Amino acid sequence: MTRTVRWLAWLWLVAFALGLIGLGIRVFTGERLVGYGSYVSWGLWVALYFHAVGIAGGLFVVGAIGYLLRLPGLRDRLPVVLWTSAAALVTGLVAIGLDLGRPLRAVRMFVSPSFTSMMAFNSWMYVVFLATLAACFVLLRRAATSQPRVDRSGWLVPLLGFGIVLGVAFPSQSGVFFGVVEAKPYWNSALLPVLFLASAIAAGAAVLLLILTFLPRVAETPPNRTFDYLRWVTVGAVLVYFVLEFAEISIALWSPASHDREPVELILAGPFWWVFWLVHVGGGLLALALLLKGRSLAATGTGAFLVALTFVAARLNVLIPGQAFPELKGLGEAFQHPKLAFYYQATVPEYLVALFIGSLGVGLVYLGLRLLTGFTISKPERAQ
Amino acid sequence: MATDTGPSDGGSQATEPFPPDVSRRDLLRTAALVATGAITGGSAVAVSRRGASGPSPSGSGSVRQLPVLETVPVADDSDPLIRMQAELRRAMAKPIEQRRWSMVIDTRKCVGCHACTVACIAENKLPPGVVYRPVVQEEFGVYPNVQLRFFPRPCMQCDEPPCVPVCPVSATWKRPDGITVIDYDKCIGCRYCISACPYGARTADFGLNYTDDTPELQPYEALPNHEYGKSWSRLQHGSPVGNARKCHFCLHRLEVGLLPQCVTTCIGRATIFGDANDPASLVSENLRAPNQLRLLEEKGTKPKVTYLV
Repeated sequence: MTRTVRWLAWLWLVAFALGLIGLGIRVFTGERLVGYGSYVSWGLWVALYFHAVGIAGGLFVVGAIGYLLRLPGLRDRLPVVLWTSAAALVTGLVAIGLDLGRPLRAVRMFVSPSFTSMMAFNSWMYVVFLATLAACFVLLRRAATSQPRVDRSGWLVPLLGFGIVLGVAFPSQSGVFFGVVEAKPYWNSALLPVLFLASAIAAGAAVLLLILTFLPRVAETPPNRTFDYLRWVTVGAVLVYFVLEFAEISIALWSPASHDREPVELILAGPFWWVFWLVHVGGGLLALALLLKGRSLAATGTGAFLVALTFVAARLNVLIPGQAFPELKGLGEAFQHPKLAFYYQATVPEYLVALFIGSLGVGLVYLGLRLLTGFTISKPERAQ
Repeated sequence: MATDTGPSDGGSQATEPFPPDVSRRDLLRTAALVATGAITGGSAVAVSRRGASGPSPSGSGSVRQLPVLETVPVADDSDPLIRMQAELRRAMAKPIEQRRWSMVIDTRKCVGCHACTVACIAENKLPPGVVYRPVVQEEFGVYPNVQLRFFPRPCMQCDEPPCVPVCPVSATWKRPDGITVIDYDKCIGCRYCISACPYGARTADFGLNYTDDTPELQPYEALPNHEYGKSWSRLQHGSPVGNARKCHFCLHRLEVGLLPQCVTTCIGRATIFGDANDPASLVSENLRAPNQLRLLEEKGTKPKVTYLV
């Protein structure tokens, strides 16, 4: 496995280098080279943002509950859970920061916020969540140095409980973020917050599972309750997502005159049909097969990786089709310009920045593992 | 709650009963934290809702005594522009909260010349990809009985604008005279307002120029625009680059007694503009017509642009 890890490290280095090029392009050319415009105003970076904050919330919820259940690997790894959750959130915030037209003014959301906007409300929830993670981290460190191990403040468990509520709240509020937009019928659905929560739990549990497959000390004792717990949570959340998604698609297709029919047909049979069928459904089913039938650590890790990766497609399939149809028929033809089109294709600079975002997240997680567990890519693996 | 410590994972203190069982005190503290968060969040939303209006002039400070053009008398057979110009002066002599700007577009008179679109671009120096007033073309009927109808689409200046509450930094708000405005110095460019508008009336300024990929920027592109009565230069990535932009009924022109540029330019006199609070105004007369419709009324936005069909 060491060879695999080294190979992944090289891959990360290439992705990060390419990502830095993309970041440079973004900084020096602004948003001139992006594929999104005024009618499809959010693209790949926004999808990555919602995916990352979903991972942050889902991972914390699953990890904290596992800790409270005293599952081996999570009981002593809570700092890793806290760090990874924070890393995912920071990565998501970097992604959305790069998407802003005036990124340096983002501070206004904290100086003069308007809480009628779900964007401002979510931003403040992120801050409270990060503060909760930091407080838990400090209390956990203090407890770890005391003899016997006790949390003398008595606030660790309550803070974890509060964090779990936040970890459920902000991924589902991401769905509300879209749901309140009545201008887009495809988004204006009460199911969206539940879908976002299910995908957050699935991706968060998958990332945690993936991390644990890389940590040697946990790898010494497979199969254990922790792996089963994470595996079943991941599988369950993926299945719930698929069921809810099927419900939404079937309502749109069976209804005689649904506002959602056009977006759903675009998802299923549009130019990006493969994103739904191959990446989302295909990747999801393959992941389920690996998680359910895989007997090796590598199979479990691959399944978890597939869930964490392919659920970006789920985000894109909510984001883009919702914007691809004008409420005012004929608007797309009224004034012609590439930025005034109801069509979105991510550009090369967008993909490069996406590589930066992804590699930044992976880098931050690695940094945390190294600092908190001594995990290193050069360390020979002890056993499987 | 599980009480066993589970199988060892190699941790040095794995046999310690840590974390402790979740006690009633833990649950109470958790509930207190959640309740505090919920009350704080709810209060923050309530306060934001109450203070949703932004800074706008009001009272006597908003009154404008504009010069009367005595050489151009208003008569019964005057051009509608002459009449609307006089009505504009009358409206501006009132405090802002007593005005209610409205627009009526007579689709039977619109010939689809796009002069309003072009005039608006010139007036507001709109860059590529930004448009305030496109003309939507509708074809209806079955061959050979086919007709074309044109719907110029400015900002609807909705009474319930969905673009305002979604702004996370209060950079956009509705003025007392009904016009929804944007503060380019506050806008962070998140484009949430753009998504929220069912009319597609907001567009983003991505910093493009007409002379991109040519040897140099031409002087006309370096000129500032004067939206909202300020001078905005797009040079050096200055606002409104990176911001959302929209039609504002040419507020900067109204302030000096000029009609919106699209109204002045309309060759068929299809666009009528004025103070709907003035029952004698041309716009009020047209708002009483029975053959009117408003776009996407089912969205509940209460648009203030009315179409005559």
